[in-house]
Formats: sequence, structure tokens, C-alpha cells
Amino acid sequence: MIDRLCDQAREGDLAVAWLYCDYKVQQQQTLINIMGAILKRLVGREIPEDIRKAFEEGRRPVLADLMGMLRIAIAKLPQVFICIDALDECLPKDLPQLLESLRDIVRESPGTRIFLTGRPHVSEAIQKYFTRVVVIPIRPNEDDMRKYLEMRLDRDEVPEAMDNSLRAEIVGVILDKMSNMCVCETPRCEIYTY
Amino acid sequence: MAQTTYTNSIAFGDGNAYCGNTIGSYNTTNYNSEEDAKIMGWLSPLEPDNRHHGVRTNRFEGVGDWLLETREFREWRGGEGGAHKAVLFCPGGPGVGKTHLR
Repeated sequence: MIDRLCDQAREGDLAVAWLYCDYKVQQQQTLINIMGAILKRLVGREIPEDIRKAFEEGRRPVLADLMGMLRIAIAKLPQVFICIDALDECLPKDLPQLLESLRDIVRESPGTRIFLTGRPHVSEAIQKYFTRVVVIPIRPNEDDMRKYLEMRLDRDEVPEAMDNSLRAEIVGVILDKMSNMCVCETPRCEIYTY
Repeated sequence: MAQTTYTNSIAFGDGNAYCGNTIGSYNTTNYNSEEDAKIMGWLSPLEPDNRHHGVRTNRFEGVGDWLLETREFREWRGGEGGAHKAVLFCPGGPGVGKTHLR
């Protein structure tokens, strides 16, 4: 989705910032670092004067600094999309303030769009800060699984052993098994992600 | 002097750096000067562009297209509703492909 938005961004009518939360590196993904990363994306190559000046002051930026810089950066852009993946993997102590900061951004610039993904339980936290949230649950669908299987079969290391009927049988059997599986609580479900 | 963004700023193992052997070839965002690269590192050591490249490499075309076709997505994308409909949340269990939505 980020790519889709970026394609449109190239046409000049929007800007996209994104971040993938990852519990393995939670300690680096502090609120400050997350907001800073979003700001970096939105600023692009031309660093605005306010950021340059703040840097020259020589102290570490605090949240209020970054929010001020973000406000200025967003005001210069036509429309801003902020995408944060795996919200449940961000530092639990930082999550409320992260959502609060996003809410403040939206209040200031109502055209800003926020795209979030995460395990279902984070919706409670999101709803504390946003009274209305568009929710589209992600479930692996047959079409996506079929595309994945076709791709893996194309990479088969022994192509001479494969023919169309074997191919169809493999896809059919796996899809059938998948449809009988409970949704994604087993490691096998990683198959859906690639 | 042109400089890649990660050179001064990245901490090894940063999840948004993805993996070390791909970032050098991909990250071509050059700043105008060494000073600019330092400022960017000062803003945040995270480099989401690099992680995104990793995700993009592992994804394949067409998956998740259904999402982009939904009315909910289009309304959100179009900005209808202003601040009241600013947030799109896609919940999903582990491994359902949230990260790899196209």
C-alpha cells in the first residue's frame, strides 16, 4: 500500500511517511525516534530552516520540538499519509503518547490520513484517541493464497517434474486444507505473508 | 559531498534498517551535504526506507489488492470526512500479511 501511495506521491499531490514497528528493536523505536523518522520522510531532501536551527542549538530534540517541526512540515504539503505497521509491537509505554501525537497532528491538519496495522487488541487503544476509526480486518483470502502458491510453484527447482495437472492438484489441495484451518494461530500461517 | 542517509545514523539491528546487505545498494537518498545527513540522523536514527525495501522484496504483486477496492478504503483515501475519518486500522492476527499489503 505504501508503494501505491508513493506512486501517487510522485505525481505530486501527497506525501507518505511510514514506519514498521518491530518488537525485536523496541528499545530503539522510542516515541521520539518514531516521530523523528516520520518527520524525516516528510521533509525530504530540503531541510527546512527551523529544523536546521534546532539542530544547531546542539541538544536532543524533545517531543514538543518534533511536533512543532511536523506541524510546519505538514502545513507545506498538499496531503500527508502516515503509515505505521504493527502498532502492537511498539513500546507499550509509548503507545498512548504515539496515538495522542497522531491525534494532535490530525486535529491540526484534518486532511492527514493515518494508516495503522496491528493485532486486533490494539484497537482499544486506538479508540481511546480516535472516536471514529475505519476498520478493515485483514484475513488471508483464497485469491491471495492462490497467487502466492503460483509464485512458489514458478520457483520450483525441478520444473521438469511439474506439469499443469500436478500444479492444479497442489494448489487445489493446499487451498482446500487452508480453508479448513482455523485462521492463523499456527506458524504455518506465515505462508500468507509472502 | 553526497552521502547515503544511513551512514551516520543507523544502529545495527534497527528493525527499520532491515538487513545490512541490502541497504547499501538500495538507499540512494542522498542529502545535499554531510551536515544534512547529520541533521537527519539527529532527527531519528530509524531508517524506515530500508525496512520498506526488505518488505517490498518479499512481497509479490497483486496480494491485498482487494483492500484497495473496498469502499471503506476509497473513502478514507479520498479524505472524505476530514478529521473524523482520518484513521484506517487494519487488524489481523500474526502472519496474515498486514505488512505485505500492496
